[in-house]
Amino acid sequence: MTSLATEAPMASPVAEPLRPIAVEMTGVDKWYGTFQALKGIDLTVRKGEKIVICGPSGSGKSTLIRCINRLEPHDKGTITVNGIELDGSPGRTQDVRLECGMVFQQFNLFPHLTILENCMLAPRLGRGVAKEQAEAIARRYLERVRIGEQAMKYPSQLSGGQQQRVAIARALCMEPRIMLFDEPTSALDPEMIKEVLQVMEDLAAEGMTMICVTHEMGFARRVANRCVFMDKGEIVEEATAEDFFGNPDSDRLKQFLAQILH
Amino acid sequence: MNISTADFWGYVGQMLDGAVVTIQLFMSGFTLALVFGVAIGIITLSRNIVIQAVWRVYASIIMGVPSLLIIFLLYYGGSAMLRGLFGNNLYVDVTPFGAGLAALTIVYAAYVAELVHGAVRNLPRGQFEACAALAIRPVSAWRHVIMPQLARLALPGLVNIWLIVLKDTPLVSLAGLNDLVANAKIAAGATKEPFVFFIAASLFFVVASALTMPLSNWLERRFARGLQRVKA
Repeated sequence: MTSLATEAPMASPVAEPLRPIAVEMTGVDKWYGTFQALKGIDLTVRKGEKIVICGPSGSGKSTLIRCINRLEPHDKGTITVNGIELDGSPGRTQDVRLECGMVFQQFNLFPHLTILENCMLAPRLGRGVAKEQAEAIARRYLERVRIGEQAMKYPSQLSGGQQQRVAIARALCMEPRIMLFDEPTSALDPEMIKEVLQVMEDLAAEGMTMICVTHEMGFARRVANRCVFMDKGEIVEEATAEDFFGNPDSDRLKQFLAQILH
Repeated sequence: MNISTADFWGYVGQMLDGAVVTIQLFMSGFTLALVFGVAIGIITLSRNIVIQAVWRVYASIIMGVPSLLIIFLLYYGGSAMLRGLFGNNLYVDVTPFGAGLAALTIVYAAYVAELVHGAVRNLPRGQFEACAALAIRPVSAWRHVIMPQLARLALPGLVNIWLIVLKDTPLVSLAGLNDLVANAKIAAGATKEPFVFFIAASLFFVVASALTMPLSNWLERRFARGLQRVKA
């Protein structure tokens, strides 16, 4: 575990040429009626980077991450994911969603399907994978999140932590290049948080591009290349994990860290 | 009882014929109401202004006007309406069965549609979002994820509608359909034995309702796969 933790941030030495861009947001605005949820967001994420987004509730973190796969359409600016610009056309939206896997706070597993069927559905419908192959993929990822023996159960028979690991496996079955995590541990009992974070850390160690909205500061320190602090719909500060926690710039971030790191 | 056995069985035979008509009307009416109701329910989830306006007018008329009046309107005014819609040279003989079937369909499709709306509202938004995030296209998402869950959520309401349609079916006898209740009335009038025949007709409805319980329990178990095991 410790070896993974030290590896991840050191994976991109300064001399290495910049990796290709995975997600680029420029001047993104988002309004809900008269409430502006995002104000001129500029964010660039390169392939293999792990980004942690944090901030007080209502600061726009979830909105930001949900704009990346267009669960929320943005109102201004551009969002480009692996070279595909989200322009609102169904085709582009579909292409971007094939690039991104997403894990939700509330798991959102399909309650009427078994764990295995949950993982097989999207590859079969979205990628047209044959049944046997879809099952093989599903079993492989369920093993990887250490839940293979529960494949024939239904979601309601699993604990929250297990359900969230299934949700991660389900997203991975589509073999996405980018993973988006929207507060994956916020709905979990404390004793189940660790097993989910462990799976996410394994994923990070394998080089997955990850954008995580989370309040798990330990995870952020161990895994994140960069941390982004948001408040009132703006990105207030963006820094390496080390600077973010050790040497925060803005007063707002200092206050936030003081509150969260009791 | 002051009627001969032969007469009595004659009337019973007539009532059985009527019961067949009642069952036919009920089954076809419920099936059409279910099919159209689900389709209308899904279409009217759209926020399109025209669709919403049409739906509101339809729903408020149907839910405000007694079914009996709708049956009368369609029976007595049916041919005129069809001529108005498809041209004057068309002559359609609107039968009581046809008018009754159309009325039950039009009325109960609205209730089924309302039920679908309620079920969709009760489905967590996350189910739609998970489908979108997994790049499952809307048609597939509805078929494989949303509909199976709607069936479970809407089932108790559907059983209610099923029972109400069953009890509303005899209204069509007032438009001249020789169903179970019409034939019971004839038998009761002719023999001056109202209790015998009306109670027999009532028993038919009691038995028909009772038969729906095992059916609905079976459906409930089927739709609740993955959920009921935890309740136990």
